[in-house]
Amino acid sequence: MADRYLILEDGSAYLGEGFGSPAVSTGEIVFNTSMTGYQEIITNQIYHNQIIAFTQPTIGSYGINHDSYESILPTVKGVVVRDVASISTNRQRRWSLDQYLKQQNIPGISHIDTRHLAKQLRASGPMKASIVDVADAHAFDQLGATVLTNQQVAAVATPKPFPNPGTGLNVVVVDFGLKHGILRELSKRACNVTVLPYTATTEEIINLDPDGVILSTGPGKPQDLPDSVLTMIQNIQNRIPLFAIGLGHELFAMANGASIMKLSPEHHGANHPIREVITNQIIYASQGQGFAVDPATIDRNKLITTFVDLIDGTIQGLRFRDFPAFSVQFFPDGAPGPTEVRDIFDEFVESMQQARGPIW
Amino acid sequence: MQKEVVDSMAMKRALTRITYEIIEQNKGIRDIVLVGIKTRGVYVAQRIAARLQQLEGATIPVGELDITAFRDDHPQDIASAPSDYQLTFSVADKRVILVDDVLFTGRTIRAALDALMGGGRPQSIALAVLVDRGHRELPIRADFIGKNIPTARQERIKVSVTEVDGHDGVEIIN
Repeated sequence: MADRYLILEDGSAYLGEGFGSPAVSTGEIVFNTSMTGYQEIITNQIYHNQIIAFTQPTIGSYGINHDSYESILPTVKGVVVRDVASISTNRQRRWSLDQYLKQQNIPGISHIDTRHLAKQLRASGPMKASIVDVADAHAFDQLGATVLTNQQVAAVATPKPFPNPGTGLNVVVVDFGLKHGILRELSKRACNVTVLPYTATTEEIINLDPDGVILSTGPGKPQDLPDSVLTMIQNIQNRIPLFAIGLGHELFAMANGASIMKLSPEHHGANHPIREVITNQIIYASQGQGFAVDPATIDRNKLITTFVDLIDGTIQGLRFRDFPAFSVQFFPDGAPGPTEVRDIFDEFVESMQQARGPIW
Repeated sequence: MQKEVVDSMAMKRALTRITYEIIEQNKGIRDIVLVGIKTRGVYVAQRIAARLQQLEGATIPVGELDITAFRDDHPQDIASAPSDYQLTFSVADKRVILVDDVLFTGRTIRAALDALMGGGRPQSIALAVLVDRGHRELPIRADFIGKNIPTARQERIKVSVTEVDGHDGVEIIN
């Protein structure tokens, strides 16, 4: 394994050992504290154009399997770890992490003091970073000159509608960079799903006669999306049961007058206790958020706060007062786990059934 | 044969959804009082009230109603029917939400409406039930339904609540 460097925008450099692809790449670096689930995290489109640093010291010990992809092709720019497992064992293992990253042309770097790196990023917030072979002035110049796109959703969301047929309720998923877990949970509940591009108009959605609409997770900053998305949400939410997740949740909040703030430190992991307000119970869920709804801007005559993060008090769920439209900031599909929040999909299905009325 | 059709998680969700629907349809919780029909309706009402309190931070009065004396299938009870008003608060100008576990023929609800009389003139009376199993014999319908369970007439629906039965759930028995 060759020596490689992780260099950061602020001038710091970490010497490590390369694995995966030998490519040089640049992206925004974030750290993730999940103990397990690296495959789901690496393939989650919310990390488009980002480099993920895992604080869990050993990554890759159970390889890559068939069941844990969250997208067809991962679009992360790099994987930073303390140790990459040289041997991976699991009943479902197909490849090692190293093999997989090579196939996908994603560079990895190990032997990085990820604890130090996490502390640094916690203080500074995410910044540009590169995985390079030589950490010279030229490399830093290149890094400084790189402009990262703010059109992440356009890059990862589907350009064309596609179906995920089922025999049950008719659901439209608006794709901002969908993770497969959402479709998997709808499939388990036999939903007949049509995935539409994020540019879908109210008419396009209504013409499919859905029983419910989901606004998916996705990468980037919600303010970078066109206002037409907010108009669509405003037109849909009082007509059809709506469930918004992640980026969708931020857009749902914006459509109802709340503003979105940058979150520092960001939430990437599954170790935050979250309070479900209505039952006063504590749950845990996977999170991946760089932004949060500003609590001061919520119109309480319109929205109810349904979930609250107990570490920093950020809003993790909202619900409209006057009709069944609700949202969560975390990942309710439990991929990776904890899986205890998956029953929010049951809640969505029951809301759709209720809106349709009894069967007799 | 006995089959669990609603488990404790689904029951928790149903109560949560009913709570949100109460807020949706009443545009808030102003003037709302809950009246549970004994035995299990009372516990269902208390759980809804606890949820409303969590969300809105206000205490919702929960009344208990014993409708035995008002049933139409016990003529001897009607003769000795107590006209005493059972609730500890007045329902005058309130938005009353009657709460029961199962809605079947509708006769219990009719009796409950009788039992509410004498407490003043409410703004409105709505009905919330955990289970609607069909087979109505009176023109009564629920406004808030936890779960529609289509049943055959001779089947039985058994709702269990932790406070009385040690666990939560709905079973269908035939």
